[in-house]
Formats: sequence, C-alpha cells, structure tokens
Amino acid sequence: MESPYDILGVATSASADDIKKAYRRLARKLHPDLNAGDKAGEERFKAVSVAYRLLSDPDTRARYDAGEIDEMGVERPQQRYYRDHAGSAQADGYASDAGYADFMDGDDAFVEMLRRAAQARANRRGQDLHYGLPVTFAEAIAGGTKRLTLPRGGVIDVTLPAGVVDGQILRLKGKGAPGAGNGGPGDALVELEIAADPRFTRDGEDITLELPISLAEAVLGGKVRVPTPTGAVEMTVPPGSSSGTMLRLRGQGLPRKGGSRGDERIRLKIVLPKGRDEELERFVSGWQAGKDFDPRAEAHS
Amino acid sequence: MNRIELERFLGEVSIERETFEYWIERRWIAPVQAEDMELSDADAARAVFIRDLRNDLGVNDEGIDVVLQLVDQVHGLRRVLQALRVELAGPRGGTEQE
Repeated sequence: MESPYDILGVATSASADDIKKAYRRLARKLHPDLNAGDKAGEERFKAVSVAYRLLSDPDTRARYDAGEIDEMGVERPQQRYYRDHAGSAQADGYASDAGYADFMDGDDAFVEMLRRAAQARANRRGQDLHYGLPVTFAEAIAGGTKRLTLPRGGVIDVTLPAGVVDGQILRLKGKGAPGAGNGGPGDALVELEIAADPRFTRDGEDITLELPISLAEAVLGGKVRVPTPTGAVEMTVPPGSSSGTMLRLRGQGLPRKGGSRGDERIRLKIVLPKGRDEELERFVSGWQAGKDFDPRAEAHS
Repeated sequence: MNRIELERFLGEVSIERETFEYWIERRWIAPVQAEDMELSDADAARAVFIRDLRNDLGVNDEGIDVVLQLVDQVHGLRRVLQALRVELAGPRGGTEQE
C-alpha cells in the first residue's frame, strides 16, 4: 500500500506547508466536481484526501509516523459531489446554456432537439416530495384524517383509508413541489409508519387478541371487557371455556373488499391467582372427574 | 427529493452561516426555498463544492466566479449531450410498444 507521503508526492520530512501545496496541486486536478464525467478519478481523489487529512494534522501525522494508526484512521463517510446532482431538476437554475447558445440560431434537427429538451425542462412537473406519517394501530384499523405538518411549514390533511398497512405509501396528487411552466406540481408521497400495538396481532383482515380470564370466568362464564382497537366492548365468555378457546367479535377487524369487515379473534387464557390457594387445592384433590379427564388423550390417539 | 435543514447541514460541513449568506449574495448558490432554511440535495452538494474550492483548493473569490461559471456550462452541455443520447437511443429504447 502506498504511504500517504507517496500519494501526495512529498518527502517524509516535508513541512506542513509543502504538504498543503502538494495536496492543493493534486486536488485542483482530481476534485470530482472539476471532472464531471470521470468516475474512476474519484478513487484517486479520495486517496489523496485521506493522505492529506492524515498528514495535515500534526497529531495524526505524528501518530502515523510512530506506526500507531494507518490510513484508515481518518476515513470519512462518502462525500456526495455536486456533479451527482447537476443533472437533476434541482439544479435547473444552475445549468448554463452559455456553452452552446449560439447553436440555437440554426434550424436543423439538432437545434430542434435542443428546443424540445429545453421546453420539456421549462414545463417540468414538480418533484414528488416524500414524507413519513406515524399512525397508531387504532387509526390504521379505523381510518380517519391525520394532519401532516410539513418540515418547511404548512400542513396537509391526509385521509387515511381504513385498514392501511405499515410501510404503505399514500400518493396525494398535487401536494408536492411546484412545477415549472405548465408542468403542474408533483405529488406528496406519504409513507405510513404504523405503531405496533402489543395487544393485537394482525392476520389478513382479522386481528387476534389474547385475553386473560380467571378460572371462575372460565368455569362459570360471565361478561368481560375486551379491548378492541377502537375501545373496549363487553363480551360474554360461555361457561366451560378453556385456555385456547377462540371467541369472535364480528366486524371489529379490518375492512374487506366489498364493505364488510374482518373479525377480532379472542384467544382465552386462563390465569390462576398468584400463589397457592389451599381451598382450591383441596377441591381439586377431591374432584374425581377432573382427575380422570386426560386433556392429552386426543393428542395421543 | 430530500430537503436538508440549513442549520444542521452547515454545522455538519463546517460552513459559517455568514459565509453561506455571502455565497448567496455572490450568487454562487441560489436555494429555491432559502427563506425556509432548507436546501435541496443539489444546493447542499454545491455548497460543499464551494467550500472545497475555497478551503482545500485555495481558489479565491474571483476564481470561484470563473470556476462555477465554467462548471455550470459543462453541466449545461452535459444535459444537451444526455438529451441527444436519449434522442438517438429513442427508437430502439423500447418506449413505443403496441
């Protein structure tokens, strides 16, 4: 590997001033923005920049000379050069026709092509602008209107259809950057970031919830409050329910094509009180039918 | 298109606010939405180029006038070349389909 001194073409004894001069001479030649179409030269410029950063700081230079660090010690993240953006619509205001304006006086096919290109640019549609919009799980299920505050001021009211998914992109026509001439504005592309709700999992148009119930509720049945994405509702647990019994709240899920909605599926989970309970233990020890019942019998057959 | 918040950007690339305003005054850089304190990617990359010209390449203000003028002409010409290239490739480009 070439040493930074070799890369800059200076002696190891070179003064700070010599190093700076050598770097400037190379950088004027190699800077990517002075070599608009030379992609290969970029690596050379990068090597020169790294070498200069290493040697221009007396501290890092001393540490390099002492063998404590190598060239990698001063790597910087990839720089984006102007040349990478100069062809985009963002740079329309900068590009100059002074290098070829005289050709435009003619009326041949080439000039016609130039005119068409210029006209297309003059009537270019505005850029699409990208935004992120945080959405709660409940909003994703139910839909509604969310106000998006734009980074540069102003707001857009975004109509959320019911049942949107995380990462879905809504296109708002004409809410992007203004266009040029007759180009019309671009669109706003709003990416939805749906916050997960730890209580629910989503499965197509249905959502599933695990609902803890007491042993008493499982055996005797009863009314329980069940959370849905849009608030709690009351539901009846039938007597003799097991852990794993699935109940269904119709229409509390996501909208389906055609207008109906999916369901909220509730998986019951029996939870005993914390700690041991003598009365319960006494009862179960004396409960012959319960002891005779083998819940694994079916699984074994 | 990303837009870059001006203050944060200037901090990251070590450009003083007054210096940046001077560049705007000098018409080296012309952010479309300067009053919103935001830059396009192109504005930001151009500012970094100007910084490099001044700090690393030792070009003075008059020199930067000339460099930017020529660079903008190069990119103007590159756009024409690109348009010509697209035009030449056009019939074979597969855009016209049944």
